[in-house]
Amino acid sequence: MFAFWIAAASVSAAAGWLMLRSARLASARAVGEDPSLVVHRRQLAEIEDLAARGLLPEGEMRAARAEAGRRLLAVADAAPAPSAVPGGRRSVLAIAVVAPILAIGLYVVVGAPGAADRPFRQRLAEWRQADPATLNPPQMAALIRSIVAERPNDPEGYRNLALAEMASGNAMAASGALRRAVALAPKRADLWAALGETFMAEGEGEIGVDARAAFTEALRLDPGSLSARYFLARADIADGKVAQGLDGWRALAASLPADDPSRLALTGEIAAVAKAGGLPRAQPAPAAIRGMVEGLASRLEASPDDPEGWVRLVRAWSVLGETQKRDAALAKARALYKDKPDIMNALDEAAR
Amino acid sequence: MIVEIGAFALALALVLSLAQVGLGFAGARRPMLAGAGEGASVGVFLGVALAFAALVAAFAGSDFSVANVAANSHTAKPMLYKIAGAWGSHEGSMLLWCLILTGFGATVAVWGKGLPPSLKSRVLGVQGLLGVLFLAYTVFASNPLARLANAPIEGRSLNPLLQDPALAFHPPFLYLGYVGFSVVFSFGVAALIEGRVDAAWARWVRPWTLAAWSFLTVGIALGSFWAYYELGWGGWWFWDPVENASFMPWLIGAALLHSAIVTEKRGALSGWTVFLALAAFTFSMLGAFLVRSGVLTSVHAFAVDPTRGVLLLSILGVSAGAAFALFAWRAPALAPGGVFAPASRESLIVLNNILLTAATATVLLGTLFPLIREAIGGETVSVGPPYFNLTFAPLMALAMLALPFGPLTAWKRGDIVASADRLKLAAAVAALAGATVFGVMSPRKALASAGIALGVWLIAGVAAEIAERTRAFRAPWPEVRRRLTGLPRGAWGMTLAHAGLGVFILGACFETTWKVESAQALSLGGQLRLGAFELTLKDVRTVDGPNYLAERGEISVTRDGKAVCTPRPERRFYTAGRQSTSEVALCNLGFSQIYVVLGERRATAAGQPAWLVRSYFNPWVQLIYLGPLMMTLGGLLSLSDRRLRFAVGKKA
Repeated sequence: MFAFWIAAASVSAAAGWLMLRSARLASARAVGEDPSLVVHRRQLAEIEDLAARGLLPEGEMRAARAEAGRRLLAVADAAPAPSAVPGGRRSVLAIAVVAPILAIGLYVVVGAPGAADRPFRQRLAEWRQADPATLNPPQMAALIRSIVAERPNDPEGYRNLALAEMASGNAMAASGALRRAVALAPKRADLWAALGETFMAEGEGEIGVDARAAFTEALRLDPGSLSARYFLARADIADGKVAQGLDGWRALAASLPADDPSRLALTGEIAAVAKAGGLPRAQPAPAAIRGMVEGLASRLEASPDDPEGWVRLVRAWSVLGETQKRDAALAKARALYKDKPDIMNALDEAAR
Repeated sequence: MIVEIGAFALALALVLSLAQVGLGFAGARRPMLAGAGEGASVGVFLGVALAFAALVAAFAGSDFSVANVAANSHTAKPMLYKIAGAWGSHEGSMLLWCLILTGFGATVAVWGKGLPPSLKSRVLGVQGLLGVLFLAYTVFASNPLARLANAPIEGRSLNPLLQDPALAFHPPFLYLGYVGFSVVFSFGVAALIEGRVDAAWARWVRPWTLAAWSFLTVGIALGSFWAYYELGWGGWWFWDPVENASFMPWLIGAALLHSAIVTEKRGALSGWTVFLALAAFTFSMLGAFLVRSGVLTSVHAFAVDPTRGVLLLSILGVSAGAAFALFAWRAPALAPGGVFAPASRESLIVLNNILLTAATATVLLGTLFPLIREAIGGETVSVGPPYFNLTFAPLMALAMLALPFGPLTAWKRGDIVASADRLKLAAAVAALAGATVFGVMSPRKALASAGIALGVWLIAGVAAEIAERTRAFRAPWPEVRRRLTGLPRGAWGMTLAHAGLGVFILGACFETTWKVESAQALSLGGQLRLGAFELTLKDVRTVDGPNYLAERGEISVTRDGKAVCTPRPERRFYTAGRQSTSEVALCNLGFSQIYVVLGERRATAAGQPAWLVRSYFNPWVQLIYLGPLMMTLGGLLSLSDRRLRFAVGKKA
């Protein structure tokens, strides 16, 4: 703060000095002849110069010279400019003193006195120092991103980054990180399976082409990969190949230890699908996706000025069938953007 | 602290520009106050420069506690676009506008030593007044250095369409042009206050007009080039209201460049020249209003904000209204200049001015009509190329028909028949070119053939003019050489600019008439025919950019089995804003280009992935950019003419 006022005072002093100095120079300047005379005289000289170089025909030259001469005479004969009035030193001094004072007043109204700079590098350093438990997921993601940048050949770093990105609701960044991870360690089935899950989160739960390719690769590398087996079978069911998918799930359930809670959950799911003949409509979303949406919600809680984020959140709750949460998010976003018709439209669209 | 020092410097600049106004007007007769006014105008510029530097530093360091940085930057953005982001938003670009406005004021203060003290002081006063209006608007209604109490963790990033080298440099050049006209405006108002507009005034104004017009030419050309390769539609001019907004000051500036010569050489047309001097910056301000108020939707329109629009409209109304009221009051008293015959260079320049102004009026009407129609409750209409082809094009064609006569006709009383005689050969060449194109290429495109003839006519006319000036083919070679080297730079500048116009016309006619287009969904190995070329999609791979993911296609272009080039178009997905853009690939073949766009991935019926590949063969398209480049160089060459040096009195 102290440094700020010293800097502000120096800037003000420099401005005052500039004014006083050029005022002094100007008053010391000799009053020369009218500069228009100089211009008109030069014009005459130029006409003669052009004629001398043969670029102006004789007749044209004579007419132009006569006319330029008449203009020169007219200016010379015109009433001399009113003579300069001396003085004004006190006004200049007063302005040099008052201007900075006014500027400080104006700055206090429109500026943010005392607000420190927050360059990203400095904030990163603070997060590095901080206890990781106090960081929220986006901060954690930013921190890991900076660590990964220092060790770009470590697949484990990218995997951690992907976890943090998922937790902060950014599935696309998570899949980006995992794509780098599998490029570094193409033999690791767990990374491929995780990549498939992030692709799925990006598609808001749907197992698209990219997700399926990733799961298939995971299964090829590790035929026992639980996640790959589970989601590939689920994709089959979603595609209408219910019997084939259920067979996959049954085999998977059979391979799990009897006391494993996920075996219980899976058996429940198998029963529900078998009864409905397909995936039930309000299928509870996989935990990964829920986590991502919760992350997005908490990020928006922390920094709400993100219209795209709100639209995504409303759409996600809507897809997951969470009408109450959807309406709460929608109400908050509508209050934020009530003056922005295009965002309001996008929100309503997403809620449908 | 840097950000807050910038904010303080901006506040100080606003206060100092108020002082500049008072000192400038009071200093017309008091040298000491005038001197202080000059110091103040330099101080204003340094203050704004400090604020701008602080904003750039905040962008470069991703300081998200600055609201503008949080809204327009992102840590993953490449450094060039972090810095260019400083003028990528409404607030930042307003600060750039102010920087250039006050920079021009400071330039007048420092370099205007050859100006009469009272004129200079008043020019600085008027320039200060414009500074007050725009700085106050920036500080109170679009503060680029406003802070956020809780800095977000990541920024919202810049619109990916704007993350492009041409667009990083387009605004600074455009604003150097737009705002350069503010000096001309200030000179006009100051001269009206003084009641003296003569040959000397015209000479003082000309360098500023030349500089502003040259920068505006570069700015518009860069913008058009950006639209050509970034939007991926293959077009380079859309008569979009925002393009028109930059084109109108350019047309008026071109008219002013010519009429100022008449005032300078003959003392005539002084009232009209002042009128154009006021009009050029008025159109600049109109452009700023159209782009920033949200009255139009466009790729470049900034966020919709009616309050800002009202404020900008008020600035436009106050400054232009006062200036034109002053004009109406003082212009009748201006001394009339030299007389001239109907057949003279002056008359031809008057014709040029009438046509350019009429052309500007048609552009203005085409731009504002849909807005007015919508405002009074009518349905939305859009005014497109057919309107401009029917109104703007014929007017400009007339101007270009008359153009080569100008430099060949004498001042005061000329001989049009003699000029026509000197242009016989040029006319024959142009007619031959037009007829050849008409007969050989496509007899149905008569208008385009006429356009080609017009372009050739301009270039051949320029050649005839040089031949005439140097007596080429008539005098012995040593004399021709002496004359060639003796020609002032201003003359070469004019020649280059006129030839550039011809080059542009050739490119525009060729490109629009004989462009070939072809599009098809291709799987890997798929082929597409484009005129004489065969395009094969060899490969598509995913590429990780700094802040985007891209699919990059590799396409081999062959002609009769021979490899021509390998364009690599991309389809990018910017993760921060979840927006995709297409990155066009261009192959240069002489002046022509092959233009390839990779579309979204889709699946064929067989389940194979396929991409929509769109391609264009744009014949002679590079002339469209070479022409304006020549015009700019012509302007700068004229500017370097020693006759226009600022310190006129130093060396006669």
